[in-house]
Amino acid sequence: MTTGNVLKKEKEMSKILFNAVQSGQQALSEYESKRIVAGANVPITREVMAYSRQEAVDQAVKIGFPVVLKGSSPTLTHKTEMGMVRVNLKNKQDVAQAYDELMDKDIRVDGILIQEMVKGNREFVIGLTRDPQFGPCVMFGIGGIFTEALKDVSFRVAPLTDDDAREMIHEIRAVKLLDAFRGENAVDEDVLVKALVGIGELGMTHDEIAEIDINPLIVTEGKPVAVDALVILETHRA
Amino acid sequence: MEKFFDPKSVVVIGASNSSLNLGATICNMLKDYLHYTWPVYVVNSKGEMVNGCPGFSSVLDLPETPDLAVIIVAARHVPGIVKDCAKKGIKRIVIESAGFAEGGRDGTAMQREIDEVIKTNGIRIMGPNCLGTLSTRNKFCSFYGVNPSLVEMNQIFEAPGNISYIIQSGGVVVLVMESLYYDLVGINKIISIGNKCDVDEADLIDYFQNDETQVIGMYLENVADGRKLMEAAKKSRKPILMYKVGRTREGAMAAMSHTAGMASNDLIFDSACKQAGIIRLTSINELHSLPKMFTEMPLLKGNRVAMFTNSGAFGSIAADLLVEAGLQMVPLSSQTQDKLKKAGQVFNVKNPVDIGPAPPQTYLDIFEILLSADEVDGLLPLLSVWQTFVIDTLHELLKMCKHYDKPAAIYTPNAVAKSIAIRAKHRIPIFETPEEAVRALSVSHMFNESLLKRGFIYDQAECEIMDDKRNITGKMEAML
Repeated sequence: MTTGNVLKKEKEMSKILFNAVQSGQQALSEYESKRIVAGANVPITREVMAYSRQEAVDQAVKIGFPVVLKGSSPTLTHKTEMGMVRVNLKNKQDVAQAYDELMDKDIRVDGILIQEMVKGNREFVIGLTRDPQFGPCVMFGIGGIFTEALKDVSFRVAPLTDDDAREMIHEIRAVKLLDAFRGENAVDEDVLVKALVGIGELGMTHDEIAEIDINPLIVTEGKPVAVDALVILETHRA
Repeated sequence: MEKFFDPKSVVVIGASNSSLNLGATICNMLKDYLHYTWPVYVVNSKGEMVNGCPGFSSVLDLPETPDLAVIIVAARHVPGIVKDCAKKGIKRIVIESAGFAEGGRDGTAMQREIDEVIKTNGIRIMGPNCLGTLSTRNKFCSFYGVNPSLVEMNQIFEAPGNISYIIQSGGVVVLVMESLYYDLVGINKIISIGNKCDVDEADLIDYFQNDETQVIGMYLENVADGRKLMEAAKKSRKPILMYKVGRTREGAMAAMSHTAGMASNDLIFDSACKQAGIIRLTSINELHSLPKMFTEMPLLKGNRVAMFTNSGAFGSIAADLLVEAGLQMVPLSSQTQDKLKKAGQVFNVKNPVDIGPAPPQTYLDIFEILLSADEVDGLLPLLSVWQTFVIDTLHELLKMCKHYDKPAAIYTPNAVAKSIAIRAKHRIPIFETPEEAVRALSVSHMFNESLLKRGFIYDQAECEIMDDKRNITGKMEAML
């Protein structure tokens, strides 16, 4: 990436965060959260916001089927539980119907997020938290719906060196999941390292970010991709 | 910082002749047990003399400005006394009184008052709620209430060592001092830091980089500034062995994300230790059981360990422990095995090497063969035998370890009590259990790895013998 692009990206990130803090948001929407984590070197799903049924269908065609539709709003932090996610939509009709269903719900959304459907058996999590003694800390571990039940995670205090990141990846109990697995490639660790270091940097440079969940980070063809992300802002503690 | 450990004049504020006065115990210690020759003054309401130390009713009346003031009065008087000390020009103060930040609202307000005074006058404070300092080489100690019949004070001061302790509890200080009765612990300095309103563990880690300290042992109950601690630890060329309480306490912060929900304080503290190269202890006894591995033995520079035993059972027990600790039971090369065959009495020339009844020379031959083998990084001798000549044999082993720059973690099954009885006197690092011996190898290896990771190298050529007391200082130099 050229310096110009980095600056542009940083500017975009700062703008999203600034606007959200100004408007008193507690968190960013998934779409905004993804812009932020993508700026920190976390690979994200191809996705776009749609504000009409026709737009949703056109964008789905562009991304390629199957796709996922999600209601998007900064207040919508538990989309699945609220029934605001439709997965594995295979054609235009599916998309149109899912769009209508999501819009008909009595839940305020800014728009509908059209997202590529990422498939993989291995799900990881990357997170950021702030410790009262140590400040921003980065988490890595087993993601998906069992994250909290398994609690197979490791932490490092930001900023992280590449070695710190590599060490924390290898610290989880289910470290074998990083190897070639059931016919799938081994996980590209370099991508994970860059992402973990990037999230640590984010914690160091943006005080307005309180916490981050990137979960799940699905591994497809050995490449981890952030399928969902949530950025919590510092304002909620005020 | 030096004046906290080697003051050339001291005032004990709050020492008097009333019964059970704690300040007086400090005067007694300095005068009767340490034969401290520099001036000791006392300040009390009557201005009376205590155990020959001239008494005054105010700090302001002292005939000189002492290097160090030790305050041991009720907390409510402390802020006023600190102000007097500032007026008198005293720059180093130990506040032993309790009842500040840990004692509710009034305490916090008094603490703030003190902070203000020290900031404007460039004063450094240890405590409050602490015992202060002990320095064996300077024959100085500010601890109150230490009963010399309980703790072998003479032994501590007569044989200064190279271990320094930073301890946030008076009780744990005594545990460490008492371990001298049965363990090989040579003390350089001990600091009881209490509430650490000013001087904290990070300042002391920095300070210990430039004195006789070889190993830093720590007991902490809380860390106020985690990042400051990490920065100091990352720069430390000396191993930091830390026991920290609060393993089970969960983070108290309100969490919206799953990440914050899963982040316990302890988990993060553990990670910070790994990043900063701090070795976290798993039991309080490790504060005195592990340092000898660093003061008496070279570091374990690889993970390949050879075991040598005359008891097959202990070979198997230790092998399991070794592998669990992430160390390797090294497969011995055919050359090494050939040499072992020629040594005689050897039942098994593979790792673990197992021998039958043999004279001391055979043991020495086998030590030499194993330590000189390229494939071996360290030795785990499990010797189930006890004769008087064993002490001499182990002394020879120590010399060989230094020569080959490889460590041995000695364990003597079936002779544990006898070994413990002689190890301090003969300065032989013997461990009490196979778990302890393997742990010693493991932390030695951990520290070596962390030195490499942090860009330090251990230069054997720079290792020099300081004096005939075998004070060996390893000098590590930054690669960059």
